[in-house]
Amino acid sequence: MRLCFADLHVHTALSPCADDEMTPPRIVARAREEGLAMIAVCDHNTTGNTAAVQEAAARAAALDAAAADGLAVVAGMEVTSAEECHVVGLFPDAAAADAAGAEVAGLLPQAGEGYAGFFGEQHLLAADGTRRGAEPAALATATPLDVGAVVALVHRHGGLAVAAHVDRHSFGVVGQLGVFPAEAGFDAVEVSRHVSAASPKLAEYAAFGLPLLRSSDSHTLDTLGSARTALRVAAPTFAELALALRGAKGRSVTIA
Amino acid sequence: MTLDDIARELELVELVPPNEVERAAEVTRGYASDLLSDVLAHAPSGGLLVTLQVHLNVIAVAGHAELAAVVFAGGRRPDDDVVAKAAEEGLALYGCAADTFEIAGRLYALGVKGSRA
Repeated sequence: MRLCFADLHVHTALSPCADDEMTPPRIVARAREEGLAMIAVCDHNTTGNTAAVQEAAARAAALDAAAADGLAVVAGMEVTSAEECHVVGLFPDAAAADAAGAEVAGLLPQAGEGYAGFFGEQHLLAADGTRRGAEPAALATATPLDVGAVVALVHRHGGLAVAAHVDRHSFGVVGQLGVFPAEAGFDAVEVSRHVSAASPKLAEYAAFGLPLLRSSDSHTLDTLGSARTALRVAAPTFAELALALRGAKGRSVTIA
Repeated sequence: MTLDDIARELELVELVPPNEVERAAEVTRGYASDLLSDVLAHAPSGGLLVTLQVHLNVIAVAGHAELAAVVFAGGRRPDDDVVAKAAEEGLALYGCAADTFEIAGRLYALGVKGSRA
């Protein structure tokens, strides 16, 4: 068993609100500089760049034989519920994430004329950071699924559902819904980088009875890794993360 | 203006009926918000909530904030489990095809004021 660090909520330039510098190679390089063993790519309502970041991580590991390990990149997605709550889904692999992403894509309107001017560009990128095109769906939109239905969608694709940034007034489940929706079936609760590891607020979130993660929700390179979760796992893999969230077989997660 | 008067004037659709006491109760305050944490913090006790939120938590929040009734705006309708929960809690629910702004305007014209007015 080893202790390693994860930032399980990172956006790429595909998210309309994220910086253009959030390309696969730059995200991977920054995560490695930060000493992270695992990141999760969670763009808004899409998984279009997850495979590219995974590929970029594999290339970086191949180029750097001296590094003990490569960077594990979990394929994720941050889904917006009908109540405008953000739900992070973490999936076993890119194929599962893409299947979930395709379901979500079918629920979104098209971006249309002038959209990017208001909400930002939605860059589909290749592993080397070059632009493959623009995502046509309006990603900064809520799906018609309520929180419970989003959690169910994530579970249906073998994923783990995390209540994103519960400390935030906007788009967190507590802010939107007043009290934590225990019946929704979340697997974990995420706090943002604005809640320190020593914050008394953590006890309030722990009272939801779920494991706590602390993630950066970074939309810019400089915040990547600024909030992290310590994983006690055999290896930084999705399967080990799932065990750690259940506190099974000696695995665990703690806020770092 | 009683809850019953308001329901009649605004042609609200009764989803969970108020009891006879609630029906005759004076409603002088109202609140319009879709952020339930905001409702919890600021909605006036005994008031009417106008919201687009149809999540189950509306019922818990309305109970905690001691609201008289909830009006779902824009033609939105909660699921059956939400209606059942409200009935169990004794919370009156109404539906209305008009949007939030229109409903709040009509309420104001009837003399129902905001939480701090």
